[in-house]
Amino acid sequence: MNAKKQLTEGLITNNPVLVQQIGLCATMAISTSLFNGIGMGLSVLIILTCCNVVISAIRKIIPGQVRLAIFVVVIAGFVTIVDLLLKAFIPALSSALGVFIPLIVVNCIIIGRAEAFSSKESVFLSFRDGVFQGLGYTCVLVLMCLIRELLGSGTIGGGILNGASSFVTLDGTGAGIRIIPEGFGAGALVLPFGGFLTLGCLMAVMQFALRKSNEKKARKEKEVKE
Amino acid sequence: MKKVVDFIKPAAILLIVAAVVALVLGLVDMMTRDRIEAIAQETKTNAMKAVLDASSYEQLTLDNAPADVNEVYAAEGGGWVVQVTETGSQGSITLMVGVSPDLACTGISVTDSSETAGLGAIASQQSTAGENFRSQFVGQTGTVAVTKDGGTINALTGATITSRAISTGVTSALALCETLG
Repeated sequence: MNAKKQLTEGLITNNPVLVQQIGLCATMAISTSLFNGIGMGLSVLIILTCCNVVISAIRKIIPGQVRLAIFVVVIAGFVTIVDLLLKAFIPALSSALGVFIPLIVVNCIIIGRAEAFSSKESVFLSFRDGVFQGLGYTCVLVLMCLIRELLGSGTIGGGILNGASSFVTLDGTGAGIRIIPEGFGAGALVLPFGGFLTLGCLMAVMQFALRKSNEKKARKEKEVKE
Repeated sequence: MKKVVDFIKPAAILLIVAAVVALVLGLVDMMTRDRIEAIAQETKTNAMKAVLDASSYEQLTLDNAPADVNEVYAAEGGGWVVQVTETGSQGSITLMVGVSPDLACTGISVTDSSETAGLGAIASQQSTAGENFRSQFVGQTGTVAVTKDGGTINALTGATITSRAISTGVTSALALCETLG
């Protein structure tokens, strides 16, 4: 299994959100500003990578009967560590994401990858899988945030860009660059059901593109055979 | 028949994994605890300074405080800062209310809330809309209410419940300070 194939899988053909359709709850709940999206995406990336590595490292001594319990203990451990570190070093992000950081414990991306991948593959492959699947998740989150924030609140880069003290801030106070005048955005998109709408559209586009490319590949193979 | 060791081995491994994780968590907690507490304290002090600037605050203990009042501080140089918790539309809203010696509100700051993003959440945001909403409370006296209820506070669009809860909080802080002073 080469790195390029794993990267394509994480980002496109086996994207955790758009194709595997796991970890949707947090995706819809927090994707309202770029600050939240990047923060949540990176938190999941770090936790996923750490869990993948540890679970892969101890995969030979994990007894089959209690493997899920062990996965959950390891995941909960890393999530709590990240939660504490965020509280101590990036408090703005911690308060913006609120309960969704602790909820990563039950995020099926992480236990899903543990069960499907890292409990069977080598440490190095699992590490790469964690990074690439995490990147896939982050990309979808960022995309959702950009769409919902632009159409819903009319800004780009909320929480990060255009802060009071400097242009790029990490304390979540950035107002974002205003594209649509205040009051003209479709505020509904920022509400939870706007999350469902955006995610549904993204999934439809993804499935359409994947099917097209598969058809093209099949046609090419047919031509080669003939 | 299965041997006893077949049952004990998985349990032992689970126990070891859990113990290691617990140990690591303990270490991380030890490293971060002081910092997290300092940040919480600083956030609180900043919120208090924002509503009523003073060099120091002294916490008062009240025997008969209303249920929605959490903490009351007497500011150095007169006035009070009251922390109240009200029920909003999505959960509880905790806010700091500054009260001047002549019983007028000097400002409010929402320290904890889980209101709807884009609607009620504006009340706690550092944005122009949020500032505009909160500045309406400055100078209010007696009973504070939104325009819908006959008061003078313009409620946030689509967030009447949030605005009402904050008005109630300010009213109860003002009423409490009247008994104090």
